[in-house]
Amino acid sequence: MHPRAYRLVFPEPGQRRTPSVLRVRSAAPPPSGPGPSDQAALALEPRELWIAAHVPQLPLLALRAGSKGGGSAPLVVVDPEDHHQHIIDADENALAAGVCIGMTLGAALAAAPRIEPRPRDAARELVLMQRLAGLAATFTPQVSIDSPDALLLEIKSSLALFGGLRALCRQLRDACRADPVLAQIHAEPRFTLAPTALAALVAARAGARCFITDVNVLPARLKPLPLSTLRWPEQQNARLAAMGVRTLGELMRLPRAGFAKRFGVTMLADLDRLLGRRADPRRRLVPRERYRGRRDFDHEITDHERILQALSPLLDELEQFLRERQRGITALLCRFHHYRAEPTRCVLRLAAPEANAQRLRSLLRERLATLALPEPVRRCDLRSGALMEHALTSKPLWSPGERGHAPAGEMPALIEHLRARLGAAAVYGLARVAEHRPESAWRVAEPALEAAAARVTATTAGGETARRPLWLLHAPQLLESQRGRPRHHGALELLAGPERIESGWWDGADIQRDYYVASDVSGARLWIYRECTRQKCWFLHGLFG
Amino acid sequence: MPATDQQLSQLLAHPSVWRGRSRAATETLPTGFAALDAGLPGGGWPRHGLIEILTPQPGVGELYLLLPVLAALSQASPARWCTWISPPHEPFAPALEAHGVALSRMLVVRTPTPLWAHEQALRSGACEMALAWLPRASPRAVRRLQLAAEQGRALGVLYRSQRYASEASPAMLRVLLDPIASGEHGARVSLLKSRGGSREPIVLKWSAAAA
Repeated sequence: MHPRAYRLVFPEPGQRRTPSVLRVRSAAPPPSGPGPSDQAALALEPRELWIAAHVPQLPLLALRAGSKGGGSAPLVVVDPEDHHQHIIDADENALAAGVCIGMTLGAALAAAPRIEPRPRDAARELVLMQRLAGLAATFTPQVSIDSPDALLLEIKSSLALFGGLRALCRQLRDACRADPVLAQIHAEPRFTLAPTALAALVAARAGARCFITDVNVLPARLKPLPLSTLRWPEQQNARLAAMGVRTLGELMRLPRAGFAKRFGVTMLADLDRLLGRRADPRRRLVPRERYRGRRDFDHEITDHERILQALSPLLDELEQFLRERQRGITALLCRFHHYRAEPTRCVLRLAAPEANAQRLRSLLRERLATLALPEPVRRCDLRSGALMEHALTSKPLWSPGERGHAPAGEMPALIEHLRARLGAAAVYGLARVAEHRPESAWRVAEPALEAAAARVTATTAGGETARRPLWLLHAPQLLESQRGRPRHHGALELLAGPERIESGWWDGADIQRDYYVASDVSGARLWIYRECTRQKCWFLHGLFG
Repeated sequence: MPATDQQLSQLLAHPSVWRGRSRAATETLPTGFAALDAGLPGGGWPRHGLIEILTPQPGVGELYLLLPVLAALSQASPARWCTWISPPHEPFAPALEAHGVALSRMLVVRTPTPLWAHEQALRSGACEMALAWLPRASPRAVRRLQLAAEQGRALGVLYRSQRYASEASPAMLRVLLDPIASGEHGARVSLLKSRGGSREPIVLKWSAAAA
């Protein structure tokens, strides 16, 4: 290779590509067949396809979203951290009055004294971009926010799923238009498509139409765009402008070595990223792991049904949030704020991960029905618990119980429904404990949701447990006795016994009892015992129901 | 004329048509007691619907009556649940297990509003059986339960006091249970309301079921 070949630089369309030392990755994959021509390599598919979504006038939109019904004065936005107070955004009235984006506030006030300067609301801008990113995340996992006002999506790997490039772009655009929050503030993102992230971004910021999939036509298409779209420091832009470089095309024409020497390698690297000569990895946006929503009510609400109605948008938002992540939640915390009283907390716990707003709403309705509110509610915060894996299942063809069909999700639904109204402790399953003391021989268990193959072998009728009653009283009931014989609605006849149970000296609940099976006058069978201590009292402990 | 006869018999063969002298064609579950199977319409408890069991007091064998069904349903391979709604005492787990009832399919609900919980359980489709102990229930409420049981394809069992025996009830089957005062542990079952069941009281021995 001739040493001169290392000197160049930016290939123009139509020219043969010349290898460059700064090129990190080749545009064409390694040749597989014998003698592939350059032309064949150029026609190959690009490795990446980026969509950039730029929200024009984001600072202004964010301010308008924050304040309800602004004044009529022309509005300009300045960055409070900017020393020179450059104007970063201005509304139509201000622009008509002669204000330009980029002029200092002093100059703007001189041009139009009536303008109303406002500091930018960076936090709200970020919230809006995150909302947009949330929508974009349904199309691809590779979403990143290019602060402050653009979003980048790598969509090459999602094309097959969404039915091709055009279908995907259309769905993305429709999703953004359908979003209520973005529609409310009239945010209309501009979309561009390019094989490199920076090229898509530059075109979007310039407001140019750009739908390019071929990396080789990129330089030609980017040529007319202004230099400022690269968002290099103002000082460097001024230097380049002084050299007569105002567009990207003019920039590409500069010699590479000289450019690197004058402006540094980082700016050269930017240019290489722009044209796909250098890898441009972007940090992926990691979605939040909890949902948080907040709603200020227009007026104070006392009625449960209206609270639920007011919470509905938040629940829909929660559903959307969960669906994007394919997750479900098992806990939901609502906090109702009052005027004076401490906030009321209301926790909804679910037996299985859930992502359906309709189900959550009906559970919340049950939960709210039992909630006592000390004062009317002014504001409500909604916070989800940790996100859980949520396997989506199809609905069965048969209704449960029909044709021996297994239940599918009705049980968790029933348990949640009952617990939402009655509390968690009121709904329980049963489990056996290997214990001789009757009151310790069973315990309350969490209902087993998975349909374990519960096989029970019935013990023989003569076994010890067959002599146990089906009902156990919550607490043994003292029986009156007459001359040592127990009485319960009449004299009791002892049928079987005694069976001595003497156990529990190790945990303080020591018992020494003689159990008998007795029959009362009506014929009902009772399980009674006599204390083996000094008093020899009779107690009723169970019923052979 | 023969054509209309045929049409008429086709109409009458419809399961929702019941005539006083015929036994209703309903899906049933064997009760586990041969004598009771013979006396009940269709040869067992209805597969879904609401039945009422009236007892003079708790502890007279109201659970023994249903134990074989409970055991069979809870051990079925895709078993649905059996829900106990505000039982008067604690169901004693070791004894239930000894009679072959799968404890993992049991659910106990303690509630001040048993009617609501019973309706939810019956309607949900998650329960095979829902047993409820109600202090009182209006015929209208019982009708709601009956509809819920049909919708959820579940067997609802309502335990009520003997005092309500004279009241009208929309339940499919009403059973009065009387303990036998002397002799072997058992009870006398009279069908207060049934679609073509036995009119004589049926005497059951609980030991017969356990065997």
